[in-house]
Amino acid sequence: MPEKSFEDFISQHRPDFEEQGPGPGIWAQLEKELAPPKKGLVHMMGRHWLKAAAVLVLVVNSVMIFQFLQMKKAQHLENVSPELQDAKMYYTSQIEQRLTAIKAYPSSVVGLDSSARKELELRNETYQVLETELIQNPGNERIKAAMIHYYQLKMDLLDKILDELHDKQPVTQKQPNYEREI
Amino acid sequence: MQAFANNLNQTTITDHLVDRCKKGDVRAFRELYNAYSAAMYNICLRMTGNVADAEDTLQEAFMQIFKNIERLESASSVTSWIKRIVVNHCLSRLRKKKVYFEEVDNIDVEEDRGAVDEDSFAWTVAAIKEAIHVLPQGYRTVLNLYIFEEYSHKEIAAMLDISESTVKTQYMRAKDKVRQIVKQKNVIR
Repeated sequence: MPEKSFEDFISQHRPDFEEQGPGPGIWAQLEKELAPPKKGLVHMMGRHWLKAAAVLVLVVNSVMIFQFLQMKKAQHLENVSPELQDAKMYYTSQIEQRLTAIKAYPSSVVGLDSSARKELELRNETYQVLETELIQNPGNERIKAAMIHYYQLKMDLLDKILDELHDKQPVTQKQPNYEREI
Repeated sequence: MQAFANNLNQTTITDHLVDRCKKGDVRAFRELYNAYSAAMYNICLRMTGNVADAEDTLQEAFMQIFKNIERLESASSVTSWIKRIVVNHCLSRLRKKKVYFEEVDNIDVEEDRGAVDEDSFAWTVAAIKEAIHVLPQGYRTVLNLYIFEEYSHKEIAAMLDISESTVKTQYMRAKDKVRQIVKQKNVIR
């Protein structure tokens, strides 16, 4: 049956003039262009890379300094010389016991001025010097021996003071046994 | 525009989808592409006349669509916006191939003969497609833009930078040529 006109025919059969859509390759190519491979960090920074590098160096330096200070702080005797730590615990408890016993006597009986009392304390200046030396030279056997000698001298001195005090004013209560346990 | 809209994928283009595209969401771009690629590919195929050029043009056009999606104000105008970009890319490709749209003298142009001559033969889709395919590029462009893409003579004149009367003349000549070719095929068959 003849049609009315060219325009009418096309209008009535419009969908029949359509072809299939494009192949999948078009989208694949578009997707590739939409998400290009990630550029390197330096490339992305462009002309600011030098500033960024300077900031990075500053940050790294700060972190390293912080870690160094933390490490120094953590360098206690127990980390430097574990075997000396055991000896220290023993001597410390012994010395503390003697110091406590001495303090039990009245000041008038003890007869020591404040500077002498301070010198009797466990952590006096000599002790601080030795401990600092050992931390800085953890493998030095002479310093370790010097520390042990320091403890022994201090215990001898405290024993002598206690003996004298005991002679001056015997204590009725039971005193601890100060037998050396070396 | 109604006939054109019928060719679109049924996906609804919402402001939300457009917003996602504007944010660079590749999945949103894919949804937009899926909705329009078939219809736009057909425009490219009709305008360029071959599959290779149609695919290249479609790809270039969609790349521009994605890059310029910021300029799209709302989802309501997305169809005409996309279509215009695709048509412009097709015309650009034709110009690169040295196809010029020149002014013509319309003295010898016959008026549309309408149903009178057409009663003597039957139009078929295949015959019309074949006839359009062998038209000179200038005629084919004007005919496609008017009859398939549904632009007015005035709009086509602006696109091709020629006068409206030239567009009308070229359309009449193109239609006449199609009629002759189809008629000839009817006789042969």
